[in-house]
Amino acid sequence: MSLVLQGTTTDWVFSVRALLPVVLLALTGLAVFGINSLRPDGRDNKLLALTSIAGTLSALAVTVWYLFAGTGQPTHGGAISLFSGAIVVDGLGLFFTAIFTSVATLVIAASYDYFETDANPASFYSLLLLSTTAMGLMAVSNSLVTVFVSLEMTSLPSYALVAYLKDNRGSVEAGLKYFLIGAVSSAVLAFGISLVYAATGSLLLPDIAAQIGSIGDLNGVLGIGIVMIAGGVAFKTASVPFHFWAPEAYEGAPAPVSAFLSSASKAAGFAVGFRVFATAFQPAIDIGIDWGLLFGILAVVTMVLGNFAAATQTEVKRMLAYSSIGHAGYALIGLAAVTAGASATNATVMGAAMAHLFVYGFMNTGAFLFIAMVERWGVGRTFEDYAGLAERAPMASLAMAVFMFSLAGLPLFGGFFSKYFLFLGAINAGFWWLAAVGAVTSTLSLFYYSRVVKALWLEEATTDLDAIGDAPTGLYAAVIVAGVVTVLLLPGFGPVIETAEAAAAALFA
Amino acid sequence: MVSASASVPAIVLLPFVSFIIALFGREHLPKRGAFGGIAATAGSLGLSLWVLLSVRNGAAFQETYYTWATGAGAQDWTLTFGALIDPLSALMLVIVSVVAMLVHIFSLGYMNDEDERDLPRYYAGLGLFTASMLGFVIADNLLMAFMFFELVGLCSYLLIGFHFREPGPPSAAKKAFLVTRFGDYFFLVGVVAVFTTFGTAAFAGAESFPALAEAALNGEATVWTPGGLAESTWFTIVGLLVLGGVIGKSAQFPLHTWLPDAMEGPTPVSALIHAATMVAAGVYLVARMYGFYVLSPTTMAIIAFVGGFTALFAATMGVVKRELKQVLAYSTISQYGYMMLALGSGGYVAAVFHLTTHAFFKALLFLGAGSVIIAMHHNEDMWEMGGLKDKLPVTYWTFLAGSLALAGIFPFAGFWSKDEILYEALIHGLDEPLILGAYVMGLLAVPVTAFYTFRMVFLTFHGEPRSSLARDPHPVRWNIKGPLSVLGVLAVVTGGINLVPVKKVLGIKGIDYLHLWLDNHWGGIEGLSSHHYAELNPYSSQYLFGGEVPTVLAGAAVSLGLALGGLALAWVLYNVADPDEHTDKLGGIKELLYNNYYQDEFQVWVADNTRAAAGSADIFDQGVIDGVVNGVSSVSLLSSERIRRIQSGVVSNYALLLTLGLTTLLVVFGLLGGWF
Repeated sequence: MSLVLQGTTTDWVFSVRALLPVVLLALTGLAVFGINSLRPDGRDNKLLALTSIAGTLSALAVTVWYLFAGTGQPTHGGAISLFSGAIVVDGLGLFFTAIFTSVATLVIAASYDYFETDANPASFYSLLLLSTTAMGLMAVSNSLVTVFVSLEMTSLPSYALVAYLKDNRGSVEAGLKYFLIGAVSSAVLAFGISLVYAATGSLLLPDIAAQIGSIGDLNGVLGIGIVMIAGGVAFKTASVPFHFWAPEAYEGAPAPVSAFLSSASKAAGFAVGFRVFATAFQPAIDIGIDWGLLFGILAVVTMVLGNFAAATQTEVKRMLAYSSIGHAGYALIGLAAVTAGASATNATVMGAAMAHLFVYGFMNTGAFLFIAMVERWGVGRTFEDYAGLAERAPMASLAMAVFMFSLAGLPLFGGFFSKYFLFLGAINAGFWWLAAVGAVTSTLSLFYYSRVVKALWLEEATTDLDAIGDAPTGLYAAVIVAGVVTVLLLPGFGPVIETAEAAAAALFA
Repeated sequence: MVSASASVPAIVLLPFVSFIIALFGREHLPKRGAFGGIAATAGSLGLSLWVLLSVRNGAAFQETYYTWATGAGAQDWTLTFGALIDPLSALMLVIVSVVAMLVHIFSLGYMNDEDERDLPRYYAGLGLFTASMLGFVIADNLLMAFMFFELVGLCSYLLIGFHFREPGPPSAAKKAFLVTRFGDYFFLVGVVAVFTTFGTAAFAGAESFPALAEAALNGEATVWTPGGLAESTWFTIVGLLVLGGVIGKSAQFPLHTWLPDAMEGPTPVSALIHAATMVAAGVYLVARMYGFYVLSPTTMAIIAFVGGFTALFAATMGVVKRELKQVLAYSTISQYGYMMLALGSGGYVAAVFHLTTHAFFKALLFLGAGSVIIAMHHNEDMWEMGGLKDKLPVTYWTFLAGSLALAGIFPFAGFWSKDEILYEALIHGLDEPLILGAYVMGLLAVPVTAFYTFRMVFLTFHGEPRSSLARDPHPVRWNIKGPLSVLGVLAVVTGGINLVPVKKVLGIKGIDYLHLWLDNHWGGIEGLSSHHYAELNPYSSQYLFGGEVPTVLAGAAVSLGLALGGLALAWVLYNVADPDEHTDKLGGIKELLYNNYYQDEFQVWVADNTRAAAGSADIFDQGVIDGVVNGVSSVSLLSSERIRRIQSGVVSNYALLLTLGLTTLLVVFGLLGGWF
């Protein structure tokens, strides 16, 4: 296979090659089904986990290869448009696919230990893989139909994943709540899409953009449609006021699922949001539909609410759930700082938001996986229960400290640069107030993140920690890998931000 | 084949690796970290000599290794790490690595043989100390220099406080840290000022800040100055700010008070601090950015005057001390005063010369003192010594060589360098009252120096033993004698690198190697030569007795005569079998000197009397700042509690709030956008 994809876009082999990461993920999901149907009674946890990891890793490898080879990027002929423009493979899609597959790999590695005693892990792996597949599709959707379908494809397995612990009341309740809020949000999104179609007569994103100029007095319909689509994005990214499902779903779900939802699923929501709003709705700013301000308000409210609510939590997992909402607020700056006719600054800010999501994918996943490990040990859920864990599990606790400080944005870790570039980009785009709110809430976040570190390292154990004898290999490896990557992303942030900004620039070109 | 320039980072990294190894290897290491340190510093020395040779062959260079921050927009500064290898830094690399290696070897005898505990921590500290100083020496910009300058300060804190279980060392370490930090605040402000003024902090090149400053004064470039201040005034202020760090680190008046207390550290550490690292860092910094200082006559005069004053002031305090290391401490302050005097009066080469010779003879004296201290079972009171000459012959003869150098007796190293400093100050000072004043103080310090030096030598080694310890000293091994012998030779011969008076008087060309070396005779970096500095310096040279040669001879004769006079007085008073404490004859002055002119008390008094200001700052901090912070946090927690309650757990509430939220957004944006 040549480094650069060439061929006619109607050729199905070419389409498969262009969508290879997504295809690989789908095939792996089917393979897991296959293994399970061949041996319905065998609990092949190891085989299933290895198959799944092989699938996500190869998808990741192909994605990274495509990214570096320039597939779908301006240097090599620009975006590859498939299926009459319903799908487009470009830098943004590949960048986000890299996030999804990385997170999925870590989560699967952790799940191997987490579901060690589960009766039928095959369904878990396949749900996870199919959800990841759909995320890959979300990232390359170029039509509102594919957006809606892939978003539903992502969500439906997620509901099942949250409710996966069938005997656990919290898990089932969280799944149901997630499903109900999801249904409301899907209705809002579908309604919004229909209004946009009514106003512009198209579902393809570039066509919508072309129609907006001649929309006439239908701008009200378009405006309502756009706000409702923004609502759909806000649901997927767990942004206020569509965030209500998140704290409970993240808390009730098995911790690996929380990691998956709060990192990958959130990123998928942003992938859709970035593409739809940058490609389709950018001209709408000129005709009085100021969705930049809309996202600005959402960003501020989300940052404030997420961080403030996180500050008073007594349980670590719930604190992380709220912190995850707060981080959605930071990433929303990428949309909020978009202004008409300023392609360069728009691309810089959006690229910074993408890079932040990339770093976030590792540090947040790692943090939730640490929780997964603690859950597996059977230690309690509150800050007090975490006291003194560092003595028993120093490496994992060190990694957790790295995640916490990186999430807070302290220098020395990847999260510092991503926040720094994001806020700097916002200031350069003239949105100093977004950067100011971001900086203030980050300061507040240091308070509750450091509580975890304090409990782990400085406080004396209050409970009997003798149970922490074993070191689950997969979980440990996932946590340590996430920690190492979080640290390495400080010196290695250059390529990430460059790739992200190039991808965003192609969107605004 | 790797070129010498490529090996420069390794010079810094080798001791750093030994630091890491000692840090993690702990007690498992052979000799508990000493061998690693010796090997690393020996490696650094080898590479430094190689670099010195390659600079001799014209391979001076400046190279940026790593750009760690790049500015955006109008302020497109880059913050970098790089190396500037020119004759000055190549020479200094050799000095630092020689002294560091000898100190490591000496530590085998002083620390390992004495069964000190926590030795890996000690060797880790020495390794990091050496690495920081070497990094400081190669720094090619002011910010990098500042960073390593701070590392040097940190390491001195760690090592002075090595015996942290005793009461004295931690307090001395804190004092050293705080006093030098006080100076470093000014330095830091100076670094920022340099950046805002010139947009760069590079030392060398056409775009370096000394070059830009020179161009700005010539009207060839424009730089930012605050409030439209005249450029010369602003450069003076910036220079003085950076000088704050220098005065702290090089222990110049009035920030010298930390240094005598720093004697609480292990003696090899004192040797390292005084000869080649911490204290030398300040003077080296001035030499490094001399092209900037030389542009400002006011700063130059202040440097010279502070230097001259410190030289005399510290020397007088050394006269009455009872403890061996205390005498050496004050002599260090005094000698660095000479170097500052040289720099301020336009004697760039003379300062570097004295820095070199002093590094060797002061390291020698400290290590010699260490040897005596071992022999005396850690009793440092000179009045309990005496007669050690016969028991410790190697220590005695090498110590004597160092003392002769310190006192400035012909033909030992210190004579040549000190004489050149005084000569430069004299010829430049005849028109400049301030410089002349500094010269007179420097000259007056000569006999005092000779006196206290030989008072120390006679009390320690001559006469009859005055205690049982001195009658039966503890023997010392090769690892003490070896470094002493090497340094003893160096203290005798180092003067030979710069026989300027001989050249001038006898007219033999080419024996003033150091002059040629620093003048880029064998290649160097444009704009960093002593020749260039001489063109810039604000002084004109005047000669006495109608010419250069008579002036040289007269100057040398006067300073040598004064030194011999001081020596003779010490001989008469203390080179007797059973010397008396003549200090009582000084009357009230004795108390004054003994208490170091009440400088510590004065600083405490200042601190006490500024307590009101500090108190109001504290009230402001506690009340207003902390109040705001605490207020914010309680408001935050309160509102957090409210926000938390939104999450009621009832899913229909969520659906309601979600729908309400969406509706609000629709209405607000509909009205804003005029959709209805």
